[in-house]
Amino acid sequence: MTVVVAYADTDPGHAAVRAAAETPGPEGETVVLVPAVRGEAVPTAEEVAARWPGLAGRVQVEHGDVGDPSDQVVQVAQRLGARLVVVGLRARSPVGKLVFGSTAQRILLDATCPVLAVKPAAA
Amino acid sequence: MTDAAFSALASLADPSLLIMLAIGVVAGLVIGLIPGLGGTGAVAILLPVTFGMEPEAALAMLIGALAVVHTSDTVAAVLLGAPGSASASVTMLDGYSMARKGQAKRALSLAFLSSMAGGLIGALGLTIAIPLARPMVLSFGSPELFMLTILGVSLAAVLSRGNVVKGLTAGLLGLLLGLVGTSPTTAEERFSFGSLFLSDGMSLVAVALGVFGLAEIASRVGQRRITEKPVELSGGWGAGIREWLTHWSQVIRGALIGIWAGVLPGVGATAGTWLAYGQAVATAKDKRKFGKGDPRGIVGPESANNSVEAGDLIPTFLFGIPGGVPSAMLLGMLLTYGIQPGPAIVTEHLDLMYLIVWAFAIASVAGAFFCFLLTGQLARLTKVPFAVLGPGLLVIMLLGAFQEGGQLGDLWIMVALGVVGFFLKATGMPRAPMLIGFVLAIPMERYYYLTANLYDGFGWMTRPGVMIFAAVLIVPILWSLLKKLRRTAGQVDDGHRDEHDEPDTSAGDELEGSFAGTRWSLGVAVTAVVVFAGALWLSSSFSDEAQLMPRLVAIGGLVMAGLLVAQELRSRPRRPRGADPVPMDDALSGSSGSSTMVATRSRTEPAVEPATRRRDLVIAARTFGAMAVFLVLVGLVGYVAATLVFVPVFLMYAAWTRPRTAIVYTLVLAAMLLALPSLLPVDLPMGVLQ
Repeated sequence: MTVVVAYADTDPGHAAVRAAAETPGPEGETVVLVPAVRGEAVPTAEEVAARWPGLAGRVQVEHGDVGDPSDQVVQVAQRLGARLVVVGLRARSPVGKLVFGSTAQRILLDATCPVLAVKPAAA
Repeated sequence: MTDAAFSALASLADPSLLIMLAIGVVAGLVIGLIPGLGGTGAVAILLPVTFGMEPEAALAMLIGALAVVHTSDTVAAVLLGAPGSASASVTMLDGYSMARKGQAKRALSLAFLSSMAGGLIGALGLTIAIPLARPMVLSFGSPELFMLTILGVSLAAVLSRGNVVKGLTAGLLGLLLGLVGTSPTTAEERFSFGSLFLSDGMSLVAVALGVFGLAEIASRVGQRRITEKPVELSGGWGAGIREWLTHWSQVIRGALIGIWAGVLPGVGATAGTWLAYGQAVATAKDKRKFGKGDPRGIVGPESANNSVEAGDLIPTFLFGIPGGVPSAMLLGMLLTYGIQPGPAIVTEHLDLMYLIVWAFAIASVAGAFFCFLLTGQLARLTKVPFAVLGPGLLVIMLLGAFQEGGQLGDLWIMVALGVVGFFLKATGMPRAPMLIGFVLAIPMERYYYLTANLYDGFGWMTRPGVMIFAAVLIVPILWSLLKKLRRTAGQVDDGHRDEHDEPDTSAGDELEGSFAGTRWSLGVAVTAVVVFAGALWLSSSFSDEAQLMPRLVAIGGLVMAGLLVAQELRSRPRRPRGADPVPMDDALSGSSGSSTMVATRSRTEPAVEPATRRRDLVIAARTFGAMAVFLVLVGLVGYVAATLVFVPVFLMYAAWTRPRTAIVYTLVLAAMLLALPSLLPVDLPMGVLQ
């Protein structure tokens, strides 16, 4: 089984990786990072393992074949038959939501497997 | 209304019109097959041929070609993985993967049928738009028309890819180019520098072919691809046809998206096709197969890229605002026939409108039919490297530009604009707003004077139509500001569907924007500042009446180009996108190199290798040099003789073809050139020694 993480180089994104590393699951379950921000540099599996030692040896980085980042996350999750998708959420007021849209929301709506939404620890 | 529609259909029964339509369809299919030439190339190459024809025949030919270009561009995308035009790169994602699985015929039949349906739905959209827009168009006075021209240029600038400042700079440059020549209000010569042929204004074909056509040739001659063997044409047609019927809702959705993208100025076939693909992915429950051969990834986009061309025609004919580059050229053609789009066309030339609709519909069906029949043979065309096609295209394009004014000077302008176009393309400046600005410059000025004379002061600004257009003008500007805000503020949540950032990167075009963020783009920005400042200075010598437009354009241009320079300077210390943390290594130490070549090499750019960039530059410089030599030869010995010398030399030394190919090619081309004047109303340039 696999867990797919919508990766972004931000607090919520890191919280998502941490949550994926800590979710109880079968031994040796792979964690797949999919970049969820367009045009952002993606870390390699080694860099991720160095940063979150709990993931060492069982982390991969994957890309989908479609343009939109949220579609990519959902596509990879479907291809791998993932057990769970983890996304990080940011604080958003209803008005801010209206203006800025949300990758997280689209993943929540489109994914065909359970989605775990996490928030970063309050600063 | 229906009377006009059926009388237009009846006029198409005229065999000469049908023949023109058929020629257009075949030419459009061939042009679509050639990688790098899309709708723009089709209209640009055929437009000169139509000079001297009746407007009906000319329109039948051009519309025939425009309607099918996006039907055949799929062939190269599916079989070779090299799209025939930028918009076919979308089809490539799923089409090529399907073809590699041995289902090439399935992919192609899905694509052809969707293209046909897209064209038909587009023609239907055009038909429905005429009665809907007619009362509105008829209520327009010159203030509204003036606002529409402004709207056309600025929407094109804001909506085309890349940043808004670049788009506006390009649009203003186009307006400035359009102002060259005799002022419509005072009969004064502006920016003509005393030359006689500039006082007529620049020729549309020369500008369009220069900025798009020649720039394209220069940037593609260097590509020697086709190392990969084309996928075999296998599988059955039948399965694809049956499957297509099950995806009818995707076809209709794609076509509607295409029409919408076409109506918006500056959003062309490429962006519209990506929009359709994004839509297909977003609404699909099961996304697994997208990018790996999902039929839905072919059907929607293919139907969209044909309906875009029909959508483009809606604002072009009804409002006189071209929705894209090909329609900007069509608009220019109509103007040369004295047919003023807008109110005039819906009252006096309604039959012409319906002729266009019918021609589009018939061509769509015929195009798909031909594609089914001939794909096997035509697919071979896609293997011809561009370097071989280059000289032939060049000779045809230059001959085309000559037809409008019969001046050799136009050809020099065209080559100069080709250089400009190349740099605009390389530095990621959108070129569509430039051409749209060029076409709209004179109407804009004319409507402005009518408005200023008919209304006292600013009374016209309170007309409801004007206020609505002003609102439409402001919304996209706010929207793009918002997008910018989002980009700086939003990180994880930055996922609003954004049609312009789709990953159509290297698929069609390696050059596009590859010089962005280098000293070259700074150079382009600085040059723009200089051009606008010069125009401002020159315009101070004109009379008050003639000075107003050039002055406004020059001041606006100065502001925009200044902003662009500031942007370039600000982004220089950092990486353009800040994405790849590539170390600067020894780049800076060498950047003070004296020659430009050394300087280009020394600046590293993470996205493109500096070596590639230098190679692109050298090839472009050589190609433009060859074009200049060709023009000198033409001036001396005439067109056919110059072709006889230029083409074989270019083929053997630039394209490295075998001598036999070069000789046969040259002889065929020369024979064609000699035969052309007796078949079509075409003049060959004469040399001084002739």
